Amino acid sequence: MVRNIVLAGVGGQGLVLATRIISEAAFRAGYDVKTNDVIGLSQRGGRVWGSVRYGNNIYSPNIPPGQGDMLLGLEPLEAYRWTHLMKEGAYVIINEKVVYPTPVLLEEEEYPYEEIDSLRDKFNVIRINARDEAKMAGNIKAANAVMLGLMARYLEIDTDIWEEVLRENVPSKDVEANITAFYRGYNK
Amino acid sequence: MKKVLTGNQAIARGFYEAGGLVAASYPGSPTVEILETLKKYDGIYAEFSTNEKVALEVAIGASLYGARAMASMKHVGVNIASDPLMTFTQTAINGGFVLVSGDDPGMASSQNEQDNRIIGKFANMGIFYPGSSQEAKDYVKYALDLSERFQTPMMIDITSRVCHSRGVVKLEDREEHKPQGFKRDQEKYCMLPPYTFKAQHFMRERIEKLREYAYNAPFNILEEVEGSDTLIVTSGLMYYNLKELNLPVSIYKLGMVYPISIRRMRELSERYRRIIVIEEMMPFIENELKLMGVDCKGKEYFSFTGEIHTEDIEEALCRMGVVNNRKYEKAKAVEVVSRPPMFCAGCPHRPVFDILKKLNVTVIGDIGCYSMAVLPAFKAAHVSLSMGATLGVTKGMNKAMRLNGDKKPVVSVIGDGTFFHSGLPGFVNLLHQIDEEDNMTFIILDNRTTAMTGGQQNASSGRYNENDDMRVHIKALLNSIGIDNVKEVDQFNYKETREAIRQATREKGISVIITTRPCALKYRIREPHFYVDTDLCISCRTCVKLNCPPIRMKKYEGIDELKSYIDPDDCVGCSVCSQTCPVGAIKRSE
Repeated sequence: MVRNIVLAGVGGQGLVLATRIISEAAFRAGYDVKTNDVIGLSQRGGRVWGSVRYGNNIYSPNIPPGQGDMLLGLEPLEAYRWTHLMKEGAYVIINEKVVYPTPVLLEEEEYPYEEIDSLRDKFNVIRINARDEAKMAGNIKAANAVMLGLMARYLEIDTDIWEEVLRENVPSKDVEANITAFYRGYNK
Repeated sequence: MKKVLTGNQAIARGFYEAGGLVAASYPGSPTVEILETLKKYDGIYAEFSTNEKVALEVAIGASLYGARAMASMKHVGVNIASDPLMTFTQTAINGGFVLVSGDDPGMASSQNEQDNRIIGKFANMGIFYPGSSQEAKDYVKYALDLSERFQTPMMIDITSRVCHSRGVVKLEDREEHKPQGFKRDQEKYCMLPPYTFKAQHFMRERIEKLREYAYNAPFNILEEVEGSDTLIVTSGLMYYNLKELNLPVSIYKLGMVYPISIRRMRELSERYRRIIVIEEMMPFIENELKLMGVDCKGKEYFSFTGEIHTEDIEEALCRMGVVNNRKYEKAKAVEVVSRPPMFCAGCPHRPVFDILKKLNVTVIGDIGCYSMAVLPAFKAAHVSLSMGATLGVTKGMNKAMRLNGDKKPVVSVIGDGTFFHSGLPGFVNLLHQIDEEDNMTFIILDNRTTAMTGGQQNASSGRYNENDDMRVHIKALLNSIGIDNVKEVDQFNYKETREAIRQATREKGISVIITTRPCALKYRIREPHFYVDTDLCISCRTCVKLNCPPIRMKKYEGIDELKSYIDPDDCVGCSVCSQTCPVGAIKRSE
């Protein structure tokens, strides 16, 4: 068994931490795990993406094309950008909060709303306003915990492992909000 | 005990476990995290030095004393450090010495794609090439051992993908390595002729001994498949990408890519009909094999640039007839609007480049967050090469212009980190042969941190951040060397800054402007947000052209024309947009 998870978002959205949390949870659930995240020049509002692969024995951290099981899109356009890596019928979880890229801000190009809507023809698309959910959980910064909770429903990792990993990886003052946010996603 | 670590964290862990004592670095992607991790270990001295050359020298000093030492840097950093490296390597190594070079195939965050295995060989070093976090840790320990055993400096050449990738690593305890102290021996450590004559032979013998050791070394792994007439020689991540294909071919995985055992390769070449080399970037292993007279195929089938993925390997092996049925088709990337990086909300660089764009002057840029001024929204820097290059390039262009009767000004931009890294010698050099017709303006963007790589401290950040211990005053420093025309301006006072820059470009001679606003991201600066008064907004888009993340045009209910909008959640209240608005439509919320 190999699980291939793709993460996509905008620099500054906390993608690296989300990648770390998923890999840590998979490791504690007893799997071999490898991850990628592409950072560097892209971190200042540019596109960022990562991957987590877990299973019995993982060779490469890279997900071959068409092999993605799950896509965690922290921003709709960025989720759309990486769908070529996904299997047909894969889960595509999208945070609805749109972040316009420069060509859209400058009105040179359109934001691809329609293309994003049509993803549901090929994939199991789940859309959520993670920022609003996080606000209701008490901390707007816990949006990624909502996303992780939503994803955790479809993965073979127990919630107590997720809880433990969240506790260890978010600032202590934000732990409760993140765990509440995680379950808001999980029970959605 | 096992733990999930990135390649960078694993390198730091390896150094710790091997009893490493002194480590130095200059921050640069992809290796920044190595030193940041080392700082958290007890019993290790770790510093970010002012540049890679100094970092290497700090590690050299510790190694000469017999301590295990490491210098880590991005690939282009090794260029800066190559002067001490090329001479130090002639000496007989005392304390284990390892140089970590972070290469960047595909240039995720670099200005070029140089393959530093070439530099490693040029410098007569053994080169390890890890492909996973576990290997990254193991190879640092091997490298430090071999460095002492063969009295050679060693290189760990690691790619950005492996630096940032995470994997499960088995942790071990730290072994103590007490330094034996520095033993004066001029013949060994003073690299002047005639001592250097002997050193050439010493280096050659050292590499040949290491080559002999490579024959049976535990990190060079031969996986033979019964009945295979094909042997693939590979290393690093390429091994793991290849393994994904699960092919019935033999593999020789090189943990150490230089030197390669000639004896082993000749034996293998007699047993296999076909030898294929898979490696990213340059044909390094391939050339080594060919120099040994081993017939092999490689770059004829694989790209010389960018990363090589599992599907690329499969595709090439298919063309070579090794694979018949392909599992993976290279997926066509989704064609959709791009997302170039941009200055953060409240970034102090924004007003400076807006002003420079509007003044339409030639700008010689440098390396840092402000390199992004090259990108579409501003396109306000016209040259961007390497760290600190702006000083010399600006002077040279200015001299050529004057000799050609061209009276236009030249503007140079450099950040504080880069100023200390390698800008300072360029500033001193400005004082030589000043001509009254010169017209050079130097803008120093002093944001009190080395921001691009995650906000490390630098030599002046202590003047703003009391937790940092260096407090060099750039203006006082420049004044003290005889550069008198130095102004400090607050660039969030847009008009004053514009006037200062405009005046400087009109003045002959050398003008320096230091902008003083700190990095909004590093120091989490947040003021009350601004908003657009739609009754006043004339839809001119002056604010949108500032390319600030929260500012865009929006359709408001009941208003036909699009008007500007500022997302209150993301605005940090720098006020620059409100100062550039021609009709005063952008107002502070509190």
